[in-house]
Amino acid sequence: MSSKSLSLRNISKRFGTVNALDNFNLEVGVGELVALLGPSGCGKTTALRVVAGLEHQDSGTVLVADKNISDVPAHKRNMGMVFQAYSLFPNLTVEENVAFGLQMRKVTKTVRLKKAHELLDLVGLDSQSKRFTHQLSGGQQQRVALARALAFEPEILLLDEPLSALDAQVRVNLREEIRRLQLSLGTTTLFVTHDQEEAMAISDRVGVMSHGKLEQIDTPDALYNKPATSFVASFVGTMNRIPTQLSDGHVQLFGKMIPALKNGNESGNVIALVRPESIVIKSTDEDANAKVLTRLFMGASSNIVCQTKDGTVVQSLMSSDKSGDLHPGSTVKLEVTNKEVLVSNA
Amino acid sequence: MAKALRVKFQPPLALTLLILGFFVFLPMLSAFEYSIRTPLTGGYGWTHYIWAVTEDDFFHYILRSMWLAGVTVLITLFVLVPTLTWLHLSNSKVRGLIDGISLLPLVIPVVAFAVGAQIAFPEFVQNTVLELPFLYFVLALPYAYRSLDIGLNSIPLKTITEAARSAGANWMRTITTVIVPVIRGSVMATIALTFALSLGEYTLTVLLHWDTFPTWVTYVAQDNILGAIAISMMSLIIPFLILTVITLFVPERSTQGRK
Repeated sequence: MSSKSLSLRNISKRFGTVNALDNFNLEVGVGELVALLGPSGCGKTTALRVVAGLEHQDSGTVLVADKNISDVPAHKRNMGMVFQAYSLFPNLTVEENVAFGLQMRKVTKTVRLKKAHELLDLVGLDSQSKRFTHQLSGGQQQRVALARALAFEPEILLLDEPLSALDAQVRVNLREEIRRLQLSLGTTTLFVTHDQEEAMAISDRVGVMSHGKLEQIDTPDALYNKPATSFVASFVGTMNRIPTQLSDGHVQLFGKMIPALKNGNESGNVIALVRPESIVIKSTDEDANAKVLTRLFMGASSNIVCQTKDGTVVQSLMSSDKSGDLHPGSTVKLEVTNKEVLVSNA
Repeated sequence: MAKALRVKFQPPLALTLLILGFFVFLPMLSAFEYSIRTPLTGGYGWTHYIWAVTEDDFFHYILRSMWLAGVTVLITLFVLVPTLTWLHLSNSKVRGLIDGISLLPLVIPVVAFAVGAQIAFPEFVQNTVLELPFLYFVLALPYAYRSLDIGLNSIPLKTITEAARSAGANWMRTITTVIVPVIRGSVMATIALTFALSLGEYTLTVLLHWDTFPTWVTYVAQDNILGAIAISMMSLIIPFLILTVITLFVPERSTQGRK
């Protein structure tokens, strides 16, 4: 596999008045899987399409293994791509679809069919090789699309929300399959998704985008536990936003002073950003500072929604066996387990 | 289900078949019946068909018309498939304008078109019979354009085009190996329409002083009306046979919604 590194340097792209990419920078190492995550319209798909050569940036450069490919047409970039919509060629059989990239590279029929069968075997569809694409399920079609994208040994694999049209269970299975294949083949991969669970589950690093810029790029752990901005904190996972006061570098949360982590020049009235799993609920009548509104049972854990005395609604994620006695209307005491708390301006 | 449909009376279908039967098939059958009459014996026979194929000029003019029709088909596909593909992919505002222009041949009288061509075209163009395929292309444009337009509208053109390009196909190969096979039905309809229209075109050809199969048929009709009808029946059958052969040479591939 001829995997290579990918760099996007100062990429800008406008569509009319919309700034899809604003001085966008990204580095993807050899064999790394990086996900671009963000809300609709944040520019993640545009970034991927610029890499693929399907859009041309207004300014900036795209480098593969430090070679500038900004002006190389899409068909000469040697990048495999899997699309959100089913993109198989309906006039070709499964094996012909997978062999298509090799046919374009003038590989002999025997060799390309052999390679197609190898790839189909890898995605578990060798038995379907003679079928036409409309005879396959959605998940199978995306597997074939993945095999097609990998068959010609691309330098970079580009995945444009390949799972979003699939059923929940198929999505989970296929994302694991993508990761397994990516690791075994060592293909440098850029994966665009709006599904944070998907991004966190299979990526080496996740880049969170907003308004055409990369807000933060880091490992899934770091992104979740140490969000660099309040946007990342709010976008990735669930985050309680608790109004409080910042003084001497500390915030008071449920009667306890906790060191504050600032991203900017926050002062005075601020919002403390606390994960649900960092809030512990104790059932008590004395020192109660909140009451339970609802308890959502989710199997091993339960989501408890409480309202504090000042009216703030707070979510807590607790193990179900420890939250059995929390019923709507129960008076409780909330505590924060964080040693530090991220704050943003109110 | 299919059996139920066959036996169930469908008024709209019955009305369509009735109109087609009365205005298309009945005149054709009558013409055929007329063409096999042998007035001398009072019976039926293939005399006029045998006469037609033994006429010296028959094969000369039928072949001439067929290669002109073939060239017209090539021009139509070479011009329209890439153009329409681009119009569909680019979402260009020009598309509305081109849509309108493609309809113009329906409203411009062929006589005006022929006279205009004679005045406007330089002599070297008017001196070659190859002016005819380009003019036939214009006459077939409203039908060919719409046929291909419907085909391109019915497929996920952007996605499969981008999939082909990212897999290494340049524009030419994307069109020839992906788009054309996927819209095969529309392409075949375009070939059939353009071929048939070119083969039967008379007014423009005669006004530009060219001789093709239809003008020759008119000429021989002056001496042998039954023979001319026999020739006309053959000119209906020949393109049909050719298109059948083309269809057999380009085998149907299973595509979504077109099993």
